[in-house]
Amino acid sequence: MTRVLVVDDAATVRLYHTSLLQEAGFEVAEAANGLEAVEAAMTTPFDLFVVDVNMPKMNGYACVETLRSETVGTAAPVLMISTEDRPGDADRAYQAGANLYMVKPVDAERLVRVATMLTSGKGPAA
Amino acid sequence: MGLVRKPASAPPEEAVPEKPSVQTLLQQVHDDDPELRREAALSLVEVTEAVPVLLARVGVETEARVRDAVLTTLAAHDTATVAAGLAVHLASDEASLRTAVAEALATMPGSALDLMPDLLAAPDHDVRVMTAMILADLPHPDAKTWLLRMIADDPHPNVVTGAIDALLPAADAGDAPVLQAAVQRFPDDPFLRFTVQAALPRLTGTA
Repeated sequence: MTRVLVVDDAATVRLYHTSLLQEAGFEVAEAANGLEAVEAAMTTPFDLFVVDVNMPKMNGYACVETLRSETVGTAAPVLMISTEDRPGDADRAYQAGANLYMVKPVDAERLVRVATMLTSGKGPAA
Repeated sequence: MGLVRKPASAPPEEAVPEKPSVQTLLQQVHDDDPELRREAALSLVEVTEAVPVLLARVGVETEARVRDAVLTTLAAHDTATVAAGLAVHLASDEASLRTAVAEALATMPGSALDLMPDLLAAPDHDVRVMTAMILADLPHPDAKTWLLRMIADDPHPNVVTGAIDALLPAADAGDAPVLQAAVQRFPDDPFLRFTVQAALPRLTGTA
């Protein structure tokens, strides 16, 4: 089964994204900030990371940079989702190592479609 | 071989380092050595004349641990001047800066609430989302009142959902009408609807 880590400090956002992805057949774990995400990624392999930007302890950009660093070294795709839609926010996400940047709120169907696409067609039930 | 107890003797006299003066610490805040900057920032707690220097440092400090020390010392002052000086960074393009500042403001119950009228009127909705983050952790009885006002009045759905998320840990059945009204204001927002629908049974005891 395709494993996704949903990283967001907002409990409602985690619940929303987790529910949508689980309904679509993904196996989902959660982290409340970048630090928790990095710790989770060091012990469990994930096929996709869904990461918020503004979080305490470690923000999304720093989280993705750490996921891509030698410390974790994951090549799994990263989808960043944020309320931030200033010019340059997406560029900053891609510089950090994200594969796609989307602005909240994300339509349910689109989230599942993008998650499936980013897992290289592996799909939720693979 | 057995242990041999050393003969008791007077401890050697150690030179106690002289505590740097405030002026020295204010200069060290700009030193090239980040550890010296960090120690200086932490040593300036309760030094009122350091506030302008530390506030100026927030936006230019590149080392996260030093910036955290600066923010810790500033937050301890918890004055209107500090709160206003920090709030300008909520609109920063640098995510780590704006979240660090939001965390600091959330530890300032004596002054952060005075910023609310201005922050809730900020034209940048991302600043208002950050404001909800501050209110979520602010240990003040009026924080909930401000969150309810954001939920009822803010024109942007991301701000309203941020405020709802911040409110939920402290919400009760009396808040249900405000949440339901938010869903009616943004009927096309699936996340907002999901959030409220998930929360209402717990609040109203109908789960």
